[in-house]
Amino acid sequence: MPNHTNETQFINDIRAALGIRAGNSDSRKKEIFTDPAQPPQAQKILLETIGARQDNDQMALLDRLAREAVPLNLKVIPLKNEAEVAKAIADLVADTAPEWGDKKSVVQWDHPMIKKLALESTLKDRNVPVYTAAFDGSETTDNQKKLKREQIREQVIQSYIGVTSADFCLADTATLVMRSRPAEARSVSLLPSIHVAVIRKEQILSDMKELYALLKYDPDTRGEGLPHHMVMISGPSKTADIELVMVHGAHGPRALYLYVITG
Amino acid sequence: MSDEILTDKYVENAVKAIHDNFLPKAMEKMQSGLAKATQASYQNLDEGPELRMRAHDIREKTINNLDVVLTQLAAKVRENGGKVYFAKTADEAVKYTLDVAKRHNVKQVVKGKSMVSEEISLNPALEARGIEVNETDLGEYIIQLAGEKPSHIIAPAIHKTREQVGRLFSEKLGVAYTDDPPTLTRIAREALRDKFLQADMGISGCNLACAETGHMTVVSNEGNIRMSTTLPKVHVAIMGMERVVPNLEDHDILFRLLSRGAAAQKLGGCVSYIGGPGGPDFPDGPREFHLVILDNGRSRILADPKFREILCCIRCSACLNACPVYGKIGGHAYGATYCGPIGAVLTPLMVGMNKAKDLCLGEPLCGACRQACSVNINLPRMLLELRYRLAYGDDDWQTRQVSPMEKTLHQAWAFLAGHPALYRAFLKAGAVGQKIFPWSKGMIRTMPGPGAGWTRDRDIKPLADTPFRERFKMLSTKKSDRG
Repeated sequence: MPNHTNETQFINDIRAALGIRAGNSDSRKKEIFTDPAQPPQAQKILLETIGARQDNDQMALLDRLAREAVPLNLKVIPLKNEAEVAKAIADLVADTAPEWGDKKSVVQWDHPMIKKLALESTLKDRNVPVYTAAFDGSETTDNQKKLKREQIREQVIQSYIGVTSADFCLADTATLVMRSRPAEARSVSLLPSIHVAVIRKEQILSDMKELYALLKYDPDTRGEGLPHHMVMISGPSKTADIELVMVHGAHGPRALYLYVITG
Repeated sequence: MSDEILTDKYVENAVKAIHDNFLPKAMEKMQSGLAKATQASYQNLDEGPELRMRAHDIREKTINNLDVVLTQLAAKVRENGGKVYFAKTADEAVKYTLDVAKRHNVKQVVKGKSMVSEEISLNPALEARGIEVNETDLGEYIIQLAGEKPSHIIAPAIHKTREQVGRLFSEKLGVAYTDDPPTLTRIAREALRDKFLQADMGISGCNLACAETGHMTVVSNEGNIRMSTTLPKVHVAIMGMERVVPNLEDHDILFRLLSRGAAAQKLGGCVSYIGGPGGPDFPDGPREFHLVILDNGRSRILADPKFREILCCIRCSACLNACPVYGKIGGHAYGATYCGPIGAVLTPLMVGMNKAKDLCLGEPLCGACRQACSVNINLPRMLLELRYRLAYGDDDWQTRQVSPMEKTLHQAWAFLAGHPALYRAFLKAGAVGQKIFPWSKGMIRTMPGPGAGWTRDRDIKPLADTPFRERFKMLSTKKSDRG
């Protein structure tokens, strides 16, 4: 393939520039890359710390998350259970207005925790449609999938609130971590003006170091690892490009509500 | 490099910038806030500011094994479903991107802010094919509307006042004039939302790739890069070949430093890890992902051990925020894609040392850039090295000796310094001879010929009538008298 000829020449040029030969590249590779099967001591300790966390440790992380979230304009709201979250979202829908157009609609992930909120029935009385941005399994042909994809896109564009969960949340930087999955459309946390995320407090980690330790060295998390796409979101969109004046809501969600179910 | 290199107008443009009404104020405001905040954010690292040294080691090791690291990155990105293209030159990278655009019948492009796309002049090439290109970073959008180039790596419109932005928007977008930044931001938000939804192709740069997982990562606070890399059906990312680390652990360290160096943040608002398209089971996201890995003169830098260190740079722009020269003249005076201390080293290496010689001569070697650098790159050392190559010439870089006269003078000086009697005679003659120049308050006002440059903006202290060596002798005689 022409691509690979290019690659060979390119890499050879680098070797020539470095004055090294290809011969020892295997041994150099071993030296440079760390082995996921053999976590270094520091990462082992991180994994043990994460594994040993008790309820009160998670509450302490939640406190830290709430503190870090303030300057980022990210609203962290601890609630007891799914019913309270559903009610909070219903109130949010009642209190806020759509940014583009006047019809209110909500779009959500096809996710067990989000399903439990039963937003569809909660918001039915208020005449607010709730779309689920995922294939429902009835699409078998490429064309059916294409049509469904277009429909999902339209629904996400129309919706002013997007409801998602997340894989993890990092307390240190108030960061939601989402690995892409077919049932969890990326645009739900991106196109609507308000992003609502719902997680359990057990999903809170301390920081990026812990996240990377899990992704790389934890046997359970490693299975899925890093898929083709992952996103980290720390608060709503912001910019300071005009005279360094901070403005929230450049592109993407202008507001971000994070409901944490504490149980 | 970009279509128009104006490095030979550095002095002229720097003078203009210094006399600008707004620019020095804007620079002062940015530097006084950011430089200090960045230093504080290094202090607040769990590992302390020494993490910068560790980051430097990681970068150095990566660069020294770039063949292995890039091979792994390419293999892993392909495993993730992405396509990888190695581009030796700017033209190859542009051509590849145009081919992808043609294959997908692309009419509109949305772009995340990317210096490397400036470096290869991608926008004009796309536009020449009739493709509409929309910059989506607010600052970059502003300067695109104004037909200018970025003056800062991450705050490209830092040189514009809110009034200028207001007039620009009202003129180009047909909106009512306002100079209120939130309203202006909202206008751009509305205008660009349509562009995001209509675009068939998204283009981004790459902040840092991770070889072992096969991802490139991009960060933005506005969310515009996430828009550009999620909504269009094709995504092309262009990365300088050095912007990679081997392991996730390394990525953690470099990314934390990048966010701090760039904006004194713990972590940028929105970080995307992208290794491929989602495939048929995914309801959204691009259907194709291309990663273009660009050399464009980098392997030449790699081959020179004295300059290799500059490839450790992760373009956080912390050196711009700390540099006293950048702080006075802004980014445009540097006349090329990369400005500030990083540009003063990189630009001569990319466009030619002779062509861009004033850039490295303009920096004062004060060391502020090195202290600010998120990966502790010794920029002053390389500025000096450039001056050395310019003073003596360097065939490997096709660098001509800038001033044979300078060399002759230095040789003459060396000769004098090696012959004390001659040296003393020279000083004596000089002390008498200098009387013919105009004096004022014990200082020489102007000198002729090659000395004129010295006295253009300042007076020069004359040679003493009695050299120190003789005064010292007299002093010690007096002292022994007393003793």
